[in-house]
Amino acid sequence: MPVLSVRDLSIDYRTRRGPVHAVRDVTFDLEQGETLAIIGESGSGKTTLAVGLIRLSPRSARVTSGEIRYDDGKRAFDVLSLESERLRRFRWADCAMVFQAALSAFNPVITIWEQFLDTGRAHGMGDKHKIHDRTRELLDLVHLDPDRVLRSYAHELSGGMRQRVLIAMALLLDPRIVILDEPTTALDILTQRAIIDLLRDLRAKLGFATIFISHDLSIAAELADRMLTMYAGRVVERAGVDDLFYRPRHPYSVGLMRAVPRVSGALGSVASIPGSPPDLIRLPRGCSYYPRCPFHVEQCLEQDPPLLAVDTPDHEAACIRWEAVAAALGSDAEAPVAEKLA
Amino acid sequence: MSEPLIELDRVSRTYTTRAGTITAVDDISLSLEQSETICLVGESGCGKTTTGRMLAGLLRPSSGRLLFEGADVWKKKGDDLARFRRAVQLVHQDPYASLNPTRTIAQTLAPPLAKHKKAHGKAARAAMISLLERVGLTPAADFLLKYPHQLSGGQRQRVSIARALTVDPRVIVADEAVSMVDVSIRISLLDLLHNLATEFHVTTVLITHDLAVARYFGRKGRIAVMYLGRIVELAATEPLVSDPAHPYSAALIAAIPEADPAITRTKRRVSLKGAEVPSLLNLPPGRAFHPRCPLAEPGLCDVVIPTLGNLSGGRSVACHVALRERQPAAELLGVV
Repeated sequence: MPVLSVRDLSIDYRTRRGPVHAVRDVTFDLEQGETLAIIGESGSGKTTLAVGLIRLSPRSARVTSGEIRYDDGKRAFDVLSLESERLRRFRWADCAMVFQAALSAFNPVITIWEQFLDTGRAHGMGDKHKIHDRTRELLDLVHLDPDRVLRSYAHELSGGMRQRVLIAMALLLDPRIVILDEPTTALDILTQRAIIDLLRDLRAKLGFATIFISHDLSIAAELADRMLTMYAGRVVERAGVDDLFYRPRHPYSVGLMRAVPRVSGALGSVASIPGSPPDLIRLPRGCSYYPRCPFHVEQCLEQDPPLLAVDTPDHEAACIRWEAVAAALGSDAEAPVAEKLA
Repeated sequence: MSEPLIELDRVSRTYTTRAGTITAVDDISLSLEQSETICLVGESGCGKTTTGRMLAGLLRPSSGRLLFEGADVWKKKGDDLARFRRAVQLVHQDPYASLNPTRTIAQTLAPPLAKHKKAHGKAARAAMISLLERVGLTPAADFLLKYPHQLSGGQRQRVSIARALTVDPRVIVADEAVSMVDVSIRISLLDLLHNLATEFHVTTVLITHDLAVARYFGRKGRIAVMYLGRIVELAATEPLVSDPAHPYSAALIAAIPEADPAITRTKRRVSLKGAEVPSLLNLPPGRAFHPRCPLAEPGLCDVVIPTLGNLSGGRSVACHVALRERQPAAELLGVV
């Protein structure tokens, strides 16, 4: 039973030039306790989708269709129908979001403790002592010294410590879903590693489901169970993590995989994706990836292809040429795309 | 070995802050040949940007010398200094801040062409078109009249590179030049910079925190790994990433998450004592890696500051233990 079911979700932004179709007909399930990574370039719609899931979108955004169904076994509802108080409850108690550990994610003039207290009170935890106990427990869990951190202001903490604080704060009300937006971007390598290990550990201990938004494929390789590739607002591929890394079937996923060099193993044939993403106000005819796609044929101009089952039932790609992609990548060995194409 | 083109000779740089004096770069020597590619790699605060700015002649070393074709740059004057300024160009990290938003691409490229090459009118236009083609912005004529806001991050970075090329530089220092552009197009920008080194014999220094980027860009060159203001390892790229000699390089490489689930989930780690880099205001004795180092030996590593010494395969490493054992740290730690 999925904890979150998203069906045909579409989100537009109003602009002077006309509506920007930032998220188009997105459908996916998030199972209890699983980790889903959403990858794509900037402008692919992944952040709009993530923010849309907890209805924190800017005022210019409008959900034009769809359903976001939450069901934790005890309570079930459509997130899009929630109003004020219930929506606020959903936002932290059921589904929390961890933003990039920028200073702007904090109130600069209050201490970290006051920040936890505010959050707890705003979400009805009431009793100050209860919030205090829970806060200390969580800071221990993310390997921070509560005595030191609670008295500090955000600017007194390093980037890695700030990210740990934000993670602890997200867990304050024991949510079933945690959404992380670029959780390790802008952190140094060793700090990045510590945060990844921490998230893996917390997930095992607390059993929440996770949605990761990242342009960094290595975070997905580390933590994801399943992945979605987004392009021009649509989900163009949905697969298990190994399938997406070693057997991608959408040419855009192939392009992304090939664009990232590695430190270990063979370098392979690394290459950028030519061209740039389409204008989301005036989408091209047919498949939106057509102009950049090395596999395209005339027929790709006829329609923006729906997700088609490929290889296994748990693997879908929105590409009529997926068999040609499979043939180009050759055998199903567990080797990265850049090596197969070398 | 041919004559070095540009050289840092035992340079240090200190900054005075309200909290005290910090030494951002401490006694670094680095010599680069014509058409060489080198990557300066390290975490924030390691001094890589300060080193890059000193190489570009934008920041005067507190001590030590910057040599260009053997002559001390900070003793140059007049035309001689102007020639150095043209020879070394910097490409900045943020293509959104480094181009003037009120100028078209033509207005950005024309002044340096007029000043340094006396190219005006038709000749200038032809030169601009050829530059834009060289950096892959085609059809070039269309780009001349555009403003920066009409371009993507990657295209802006190409304009920055074209601007650097207006004066036929011999050295380009690119500080995190791809970290702000989308992953999907980083490789093409790195290829562009790499071609400048191979086809036009430009010496290219890429400053990056991303070892995977350094490995790709520097595949025919060298990598210098910096820690707390010093170079701790300097070696050809492939041996450095496959068999790092310094325990810090080994720890970084072991910690990097990689875009390959099987590799990244089974990597052997190097466990360090303490995840955070010490503050530059409160350095450990010996100003080095020993408080965090799994190979550190008391009485040795905390007493004498290790300097770069030679290990087999032309690599230099500043580690007492690796030098004594004549073995890269990665092998001593069993992570190869």
